[in-house]
Amino acid sequence: MEAPPVTVMPVTGGTINMMEYLLQGSVLDQSLESLLHRLRGLCDNMEPESFIDHELVYLLKGQQGNPFILRARRSLSHPTSPWHLRYLGQPEVGDKSRHALVRNCVDVAASHSLPEFLNEMGFRMDHEFVANGHIFRKGAMKIVVSKLSRILVPGNTDNTERLSLSYLVELSVLAPAGQDTVSEDMRSFAEQLKPLVHLEKIDPSKQRH
Amino acid sequence: MGVTCVCQVPVAEGKSVQQTVDILHKKLEQLGAVKQGSFCVDCETYHATGNVSGQPTKLLYVMHNSETPLSCLALFEGGPCLIADANFDVLMVKLKSHFQNAKGHKVECRGSRYRYCDFLIKVGTVTMSSSARGISVEVEYCPCVVPGDCWNLVKEFMQSFLGSSVPELPSVFAAKPEGLFAPADSVDTMTQYLELFNKLRKQQIPGSNVR
Repeated sequence: MEAPPVTVMPVTGGTINMMEYLLQGSVLDQSLESLLHRLRGLCDNMEPESFIDHELVYLLKGQQGNPFILRARRSLSHPTSPWHLRYLGQPEVGDKSRHALVRNCVDVAASHSLPEFLNEMGFRMDHEFVANGHIFRKGAMKIVVSKLSRILVPGNTDNTERLSLSYLVELSVLAPAGQDTVSEDMRSFAEQLKPLVHLEKIDPSKQRH
Repeated sequence: MGVTCVCQVPVAEGKSVQQTVDILHKKLEQLGAVKQGSFCVDCETYHATGNVSGQPTKLLYVMHNSETPLSCLALFEGGPCLIADANFDVLMVKLKSHFQNAKGHKVECRGSRYRYCDFLIKVGTVTMSSSARGISVEVEYCPCVVPGDCWNLVKEFMQSFLGSSVPELPSVFAAKPEGLFAPADSVDTMTQYLELFNKLRKQQIPGSNVR
């Protein structure tokens, strides 16, 4: 058994800040098939994957400022896969001409003790939902078409109720900070999906009431 | 991962930490063990801020093991633990207003890795704030995952180079309800390292103030 490589300096913090570039839109249920058909044509030549995920959103209320939000997601179709923990920062305020929403993103794979661990850290679950749909890829771009459902009894993912009569469409790219060509590529891809779906930059902070 | 035992070895009478480590290396080489690279286990401590006064501050430990370089283990002492990938450290940086890194409390254990048939032996120097605080020895018997089945063998093997400093069955195994099964993850090993680090942290360095 070979020894794994040992770095002299521990790699903690200070690693590359990854940014998520995001465009969102929606389609009504009746237009779903046409959208999927076009995506199958435009995207990389592989079977589009379908998924059923359960996402829990946790909040940590600090002494001051906004609560810290973490999103924990697990697959209901692959129950033994690790949990996916995601932190999304505030959208970068900057170049108004930038075509996509840009925010800092940290993705961590975690073991199944995640919910209990987050509770011990002081996080409390704010809300949960089930998302099911399809995922397509084109190079570094990821296109997710999903139906969100509300969970009626906390923790029971079998008993759900659809939130709307449409599907959420998200086009995203994960790239290191500073790569501005990414949003250009996303915009030209989004053009090809018109008029089936209009993908735009939607600022989440403007949605809050 | 096989059954792993982590124990502390006292510094030999009249010798320094480095000299004791060298003696152990020599004994292992005489047995026929082959050196295979080096290892590093480290532990960082985070304090939860914003606690209700009167309650003790929760301590969160984040540990890394070079044997599993892409993972890290986060645990509360006596509480739940989480195995996550290396990005968890980046997340802790984002959480710095809620969890403060007690930089002075970082503990590292570095040393050489030896292979002797089915055993993997790691002799390490435990350092805190660049001062050597003690010596750790980790012995893993790779083919077996049930502590009860191989503890006697592991103990006998340890006696052959540790002499009388051989420990008893680690409490992580004794405390298991079904008796005796080490899960495939490294939680038991890291818990033993954490106990060792905490014990060494509490020990006074001769000639220095109590912290």
